[in-house]
Amino acid sequence: MRFNLFVRRLHLYLALSLIPWFLIYGVSSIPFAHNSWIDRFYQDGKPTWNLRFEKPYDLEIPEGADLREIGARIKQDVGLEGSFGAYRPNPSELIVYVHTFWTASHARYFPDKKLLRVEDRRFRWDHFLTGMHARGGFQDRRPLNLAWSIVVDLVCIGFLLWIASGIYMWWQLPQTRIWGFLALGSGATLFALFLVGL
Amino acid sequence: VFSKIIRRTHMYLALFLTPWILMYALSTMAMNHREWLRGGSGETLPQFEKEREEPYQASFAPDARPQAIGEKILEDARLVGAFNARKDSSGAVVIVRQDPVTPRRITYSPAESKLVIEKEVFRWPAFLERMHRRRGYQHAALDDSWAFSVDLVIAAMIFWVLSGLWMWWELRATWRLGALFAAGGLALFALFLFTI
Repeated sequence: MRFNLFVRRLHLYLALSLIPWFLIYGVSSIPFAHNSWIDRFYQDGKPTWNLRFEKPYDLEIPEGADLREIGARIKQDVGLEGSFGAYRPNPSELIVYVHTFWTASHARYFPDKKLLRVEDRRFRWDHFLTGMHARGGFQDRRPLNLAWSIVVDLVCIGFLLWIASGIYMWWQLPQTRIWGFLALGSGATLFALFLVGL
Repeated sequence: VFSKIIRRTHMYLALFLTPWILMYALSTMAMNHREWLRGGSGETLPQFEKEREEPYQASFAPDARPQAIGEKILEDARLVGAFNARKDSSGAVVIVRQDPVTPRRITYSPAESKLVIEKEVFRWPAFLERMHRRRGYQHAALDDSWAFSVDLVIAAMIFWVLSGLWMWWELRATWRLGALFAAGGLALFALFLFTI
């Protein structure tokens, strides 16, 4: 009886604690799954990226250099704040993208022209939601960023505990077993079908 | 009666969608630790191994789109399904057939009139990530059914939050502690929202 109550309360309190994450992962999946539909709301002729400034800039990028290190240097030089990443879409360009939950900017460095262009992305709710959904990883070692990624892990563990405790609670209700088996079995069968057929 | 309907819908929907939730939980963890998992295998790009090579005679219009060429090749190779196709600098058409378990890369070299079919070496993190990212309606019955199931998961997640709050509200004994947990979670979320 005690264990039964513990499982029920664990299911409940865990859910109440993680409601914001659960809700944000659910709602933010809509723009991922229906991006072309959401995109229509923003076809207003306004550019996605707005130039903040462009200036001469000279930074050597050695062969095989760690792009994250180079990105950190550029980010610091132009005073951008937030989590960041860096990539090189082609040999004549290096892009450092910097984002918070609310803002996104990128610095585009053109080594051949020795030119640096910083642009800000217009705010869009779908970007805000998908940015939050996709945020994770342990590359950014700043305490709050690390804490977010740890919470993402906790949310995943929460999902697993909800499954385990949910199945346990279902098993405690003998009158629901037949329909429960049907629901669980049909879900598992359909999922297996997708795995094989997709 | 209303309360019972809410409770049963909450439970049966969860039981039905258990495989999806399990997959999303495990895949999110895999993506959250992507660097570490890649570091373990030392691989950053998917690895392919040759499955077979076969002669392939076909004539495509010079301006044929890679997607149209890919569709015909997949049909001939009996690998019909969701795919991407592109032309590389040598003029070869590279098709990636997006199978969740075994994605394949099919390279058609018009100059050599042959198809090289390779399959991606299976890795759990990559498999989970593929499942996590698969979505969108593509006008093929099974793909659209999957997209619908993803929409169902989204609707279910919102429903579980609302029905969960309803069920909590019916358990008067848990109000105080429940409010504390909910407020704690909300406060932590708000802290993240305005600081990172």
